[in-house]
Amino acid sequence: MTPAQQVAIAVPTGALHDGALSLLARSGLASLGAEELGRQLLVEREGLRVILVRPSDVPAYVDHGAADLGIVGKDILWETPGAHYELVDLRFGGCRLVLAVPDASSLDGPETWPPMIRVATKYPRTAAAWFESRGQAVEVVQLHGSVELAPQVGLVDGIVDLTATGRTLRDNRLRITAVLGTSTARLIANQASLKTRTAAVQSVVAKMREASSDAG
Amino acid sequence: MWPRPGGFFTSASPSPAPQLGGVPGFRDLLPLEAEILREAQESLLGEMRRWGYRHVITPLVESMDVLDVGLGIEQRRRLFKFTDGRGDVVALVGERTVPVARLVAGKLRAAPLPLRLCYAGPVLSTDEGRFQQRRETYQVGAELVGASGPVADAEVIALAARCMEATGIRRYQIDVGHAEFFQGIMDAVKLPDEVKAAVRTALAARDFVALEALLEDTPLKSAEHELLLRFPALRGGAEILEAAGGLVRNQRSEAALSELARVRELLVAHGIGEVVNLDLGAIRDFDYYTGVIFEGYGPDFGRPVAQGGRYDGLLERFGRPAPATGFMVQLDLVSEMLTRAPRPPALPRLDAALAWSGPGLSTALRLGSTLRLFGMRAVVDTESRSTSEANAWWHAVGAANLVHCLSDSVVAWSATGQRTRRLPPEQVAARLAGGVS
Repeated sequence: MTPAQQVAIAVPTGALHDGALSLLARSGLASLGAEELGRQLLVEREGLRVILVRPSDVPAYVDHGAADLGIVGKDILWETPGAHYELVDLRFGGCRLVLAVPDASSLDGPETWPPMIRVATKYPRTAAAWFESRGQAVEVVQLHGSVELAPQVGLVDGIVDLTATGRTLRDNRLRITAVLGTSTARLIANQASLKTRTAAVQSVVAKMREASSDAG
Repeated sequence: MWPRPGGFFTSASPSPAPQLGGVPGFRDLLPLEAEILREAQESLLGEMRRWGYRHVITPLVESMDVLDVGLGIEQRRRLFKFTDGRGDVVALVGERTVPVARLVAGKLRAAPLPLRLCYAGPVLSTDEGRFQQRRETYQVGAELVGASGPVADAEVIALAARCMEATGIRRYQIDVGHAEFFQGIMDAVKLPDEVKAAVRTALAARDFVALEALLEDTPLKSAEHELLLRFPALRGGAEILEAAGGLVRNQRSEAALSELARVRELLVAHGIGEVVNLDLGAIRDFDYYTGVIFEGYGPDFGRPVAQGGRYDGLLERFGRPAPATGFMVQLDLVSEMLTRAPRPPALPRLDAALAWSGPGLSTALRLGSTLRLFGMRAVVDTESRSTSEANAWWHAVGAANLVHCLSDSVVAWSATGQRTRRLPPEQVAARLAGGVS
């Protein structure tokens, strides 16, 4: 656990990594090279402890109090709601969660969906909730990688996946037929940290809020 | 022919081993953990009794008819439900305030109010994700039924604070808020009903990004808007009441602020002013709580250890309208904190290991009875042993003393770090008992 005045922040690997480090630098909190953090996984700098974790693990670190704050994509929060506070839209790492089908597919708007649509996704909970809220029966196949492949080999009708530029979808001859949601990086906080170390945590939050709104 | 599949990961083995790890989400407590948990529970109930709270024990199973009355939809969804032999739907309790309310409105109907009651026991949840994958947790709680107003509120908060102290938690703090402060803001804020509903949902999910987006889209900006956005930061000492008082313009919130000011004064008189913070932005189940609410936090722990507040609406639903306030302590968290403390409590040692050989058995049994009469922990061996075997057994059971009973009149007594002495059993008993008192 962290001493009274030190604030621990969980930073994700992957797509949000560079944006997160750049934000920490612009906030004047910590200037860290990706290489340094990648080598050490835990770096302490001027009262800030930076922990490098997998994107989907950020909520766990924050909810259990191992980190006071965390930088995490909204897409992860859709899948793993928890007891944390979602405090700031950090306005980077923008991407969309979309429903995509093969170019040759006859599927398009909701009126063209079969009685039971099959989709592959890394976001089973979000996908199921979205279809159900539209009164559509859905069979969700949870995959852990290369989701784009699944419709091409006839496993599913379409995929629900995250896309920033749409490039991977186009490369795999998939087209977007619906947008389920828009995701950006968020700053989340442990509930007890906000209460027991208010001043230290709020000061970090304020700096990051300011730096992220400057950029946007 | 293919070799028969085998090994640890094979699920289709012909005679599967029983699930020795237990059911997922349910935990075994090994001796040290169990001892710490039990001691903590005793300390909590002991403190509650010192404040005049009477212990009640309600069953692990409640009728769904009762739980439907007392619990919200989300809480009901997480209950283990089943039908009993008569076809009634029953559930394993997920909290213990509703059973106590049933008791007060039912079997204790004739008991004069206010009633001070306390309880301890496990609660169950089908939800695996909520509590570090735990589906069975332990709660100890106190309820003060039939008393309204700041004096009763302060009593329960002070009791919660003293309970945390009683378990041995050294650094802790209590955050006190008020459900009516939030309700007043929601009354006053100028928003269409569907937006208000969305604001409540966003706050319940602690999603301030969504909340900001909702409030940004509305043309009317009021002081209440500002307060909602600053919710997580509305904490502090008495000065926060002044600051908030300058911003709210509705009677409900103003009344809540003056009630909080009074409760704070009383908590200072209770002697716990230093551990109390005011938290106007506390987010709790606002359908349930009707007044002063509070949470207790231990050092460096991600979740509140104690939580409670005023729930004046519950008893009425059971046909005996009465104001009520109370709290529960999450016993698992308390014992986890104690286990992780720099100096965790030690498992009380066995005082004496009583070995015997041949004719020494009846001496060993007699000596065991005597030592236990003096409150010592003594274990008698199940088989006759030689001196070296007795020594090995002594170290295996980890007792402070070994008494090897050799005959009716002679025992060999070894204490940790001391030479073995041959003495009559009565003398050893006297010395051991003397060392205890």
